[in-house]
Amino acid sequence: MNKLSQEKEERLLRYLDGELDKEASQQLEVELQTSEVLQNRLNDLRVVRTFLLQKGTLESPSKNFTQKVMSGLDKKLANSFSPRQGLLLLVGTIVASGIALALLSAGVFDAPTVPLVVDAPLKNNWLNIPSISIPFNGKILVNGILILNLGLALILLDRTILKPIFQKRISSEV
Amino acid sequence: MITQQEEYSLIDKILAGDRQQYSILVDGYKTYAFTIAFKILGNRPEAEEAAQDAFIKSFHYLKSFNRQAKFSTWLYRIVFNTAISYKRKSKQTFQSIDNTIVEYSDRADKQMERDDKQLYVAKAMDSLNEADRLAIQLFYIKEFSLEEVAETMGQNMNTLKVRIHRARLRLADELKKILKEEALTL
Repeated sequence: MNKLSQEKEERLLRYLDGELDKEASQQLEVELQTSEVLQNRLNDLRVVRTFLLQKGTLESPSKNFTQKVMSGLDKKLANSFSPRQGLLLLVGTIVASGIALALLSAGVFDAPTVPLVVDAPLKNNWLNIPSISIPFNGKILVNGILILNLGLALILLDRTILKPIFQKRISSEV
Repeated sequence: MITQQEEYSLIDKILAGDRQQYSILVDGYKTYAFTIAFKILGNRPEAEEAAQDAFIKSFHYLKSFNRQAKFSTWLYRIVFNTAISYKRKSKQTFQSIDNTIVEYSDRADKQMERDDKQLYVAKAMDSLNEADRLAIQLFYIKEFSLEEVAETMGQNMNTLKVRIHRARLRLADELKKILKEEALTL
């Protein structure tokens, strides 16, 4: 198969779009008379152009389109936080995690496990309900909160910084 | 057709609280907005919903319209983004040739051949990547300039031009391939 050069293909497209000047058009027409490959390519490109032009017609929306829009103006927009809000939340999460880490490393939560005693709601002579004792370790609780906080920070980092950057990059590449 | 000055005056009135004036803007741009959404979604009810949604969004964000660009371009960008997010949600595919109802009637051979070729180009559209297909579809909407399409899609004009040319060449390649396959099956 004889493949046309990029320059020739470009010229054919510009010829079809009427972008070539008179001299260049005449020169191409001479070439077209002698080259079957060029002629075939022009015909294919012409079919494509006709198709695209035909497909380019405007579509009409429904008759009550405007009415529907006007009646929907009070519709609440989907809630999503702005990048600024997201960034503030991210900073807040990091600061909170930092404080918790500092407290942990300072040994604030190093106290031995203390039981949480829950007294029976009713006390009388006939019914003897023992007090409930739940072992509680502050360090484990703070560690759990810290892990959740870091998870939240990662999600916020993705939504507010990474995702917009990648979307921007994709749309500029596209 | 609304002039830019009239448009700005309408926007001022809407921002001052006269929301009924917004219907004039909707009437003026609904056809193009719907066409853009339809080209992206390929489905009328969904395109209608997306276009309406975009108009509602633009009403709410009207305060942020800085009047450096045309209102239409700003609006079409909102329509484009809204339709794209609808498409992502529904994961709809473009109308393929398989869904197209083709009615045959007695036609002259040449006309028939031309129409067949048009159908093959429709089939070839499926071979384009989404960005190329969107670029080419929006560019060929009646009276849309390259600049308008570039701004609507948030792309550089030169990149868009290259993309459109490349898509046209690719369609011609695909058309040739399909015709060759058809010839072999006959």
